[in-house]
Amino acid sequence: MTTAELQGRFQSLIEEHKKILYKVCNSYCRNRDDREDLAQEIIVQLWRSFGGFDERYRFSTWMYRIALNVAISFYRRESTKARHVLSDNERVLEAVDERANPPDDIQLLYQVIDGLDPLNKALMLLYLDGNSYAEVAEVLGISETNVATKISRLKKTMKEQLSGKTQS
Amino acid sequence: MVNFEEVDLDELKQKWAEHDRKLDLNIHLNRQLLLATNLNRVRSPLRRMAFFLGLEAAIGVVVAIVLGGFIHDNIGMARFVMPAVALHLWVIANIAAAIRMMVMALQIDYDKPIATIQKQLEGLRAVRIRVTQWALLTGQLVWWTPFMIVALKGFFGIDVYRFVGLNFVVVNLLFGAAVIPVAIWLSRKYGERVGQSPFMRRLMRDLAGYNLNAATGFLATISEFAGER
Repeated sequence: MTTAELQGRFQSLIEEHKKILYKVCNSYCRNRDDREDLAQEIIVQLWRSFGGFDERYRFSTWMYRIALNVAISFYRRESTKARHVLSDNERVLEAVDERANPPDDIQLLYQVIDGLDPLNKALMLLYLDGNSYAEVAEVLGISETNVATKISRLKKTMKEQLSGKTQS
Repeated sequence: MVNFEEVDLDELKQKWAEHDRKLDLNIHLNRQLLLATNLNRVRSPLRRMAFFLGLEAAIGVVVAIVLGGFIHDNIGMARFVMPAVALHLWVIANIAAAIRMMVMALQIDYDKPIATIQKQLEGLRAVRIRVTQWALLTGQLVWWTPFMIVALKGFFGIDVYRFVGLNFVVVNLLFGAAVIPVAIWLSRKYGERVGQSPFMRRLMRDLAGYNLNAATGFLATISEFAGER
């Protein structure tokens, strides 16, 4: 496969799975420009690792692993980054329904995700996206039993948080 | 509309699935921009870091060679050899640290599980902070008086001791050593007020030890996250 063909195949796969990119960026960045920076950083890293992608595995699992790794790393150093403002035609990923205007329940869900530490955020995203415990365990690098324990703990914490939010 | 007082994660999972379906229509990926970007030429932050560490190590090797030549040329004169050896050791330690960090950075493969990669990344961050602290605090000892003695002798053939005497040199070194705890105290007290430069803010937080505490704290979180059964 030539570089151009590889790049074409890569872009098609990214287009097909752009929702992962959107959801990861939205969960790890509050600021719109930061989300764009993160999206670009994830795409660069995905492209760099694309040569090593094993087609026998699901692209979404592979993409999640890289996107979440980049996002957590970005989130950890976000406070020391210099900010720059982008124009609309400089944005690689844009949503019509911006994060500021999603339905109430989704907005609340994003708020709860915001309150989690970066590792539990990853766990929550993978769970909400319907990945199996085995897939979540594979992406996170922990055991399936550990995943099950954490999900059940998250369910409990979330219920408490959500009832707290609606009461306040 | 969901009643949140009675909602649980499984119900929200269903809501999330609906949100996911809508996203198919709402998200726009700018393929034009993606096509225009030469992805091969864009360096990831880790690659950039590895590149600059490599450059730092290479410059360090050149400085170490120059200092080695100076030591060789003045081998019989302890008053010149001692400061040069101090500088030489500092430079060699810095080269070793740069190479170590460069190798750590190049070994990080984002294609590996999150717990593994985040541990590697935070480990690298902890090493970088320790190296910055060490380089800043000891650097002001060797890159002032010893450097002045070596540079004036090496470049201009001037013997500093003829003008200032040994006592001046010793007092300067002691002053440099005394500055270390003061610098740490100042960075902790005023580090947050040094302006808006992210670089300076990071440097001050490195020096004060806040970033190291955060890095070791996150390492503990990762271990706890990965180790719980």
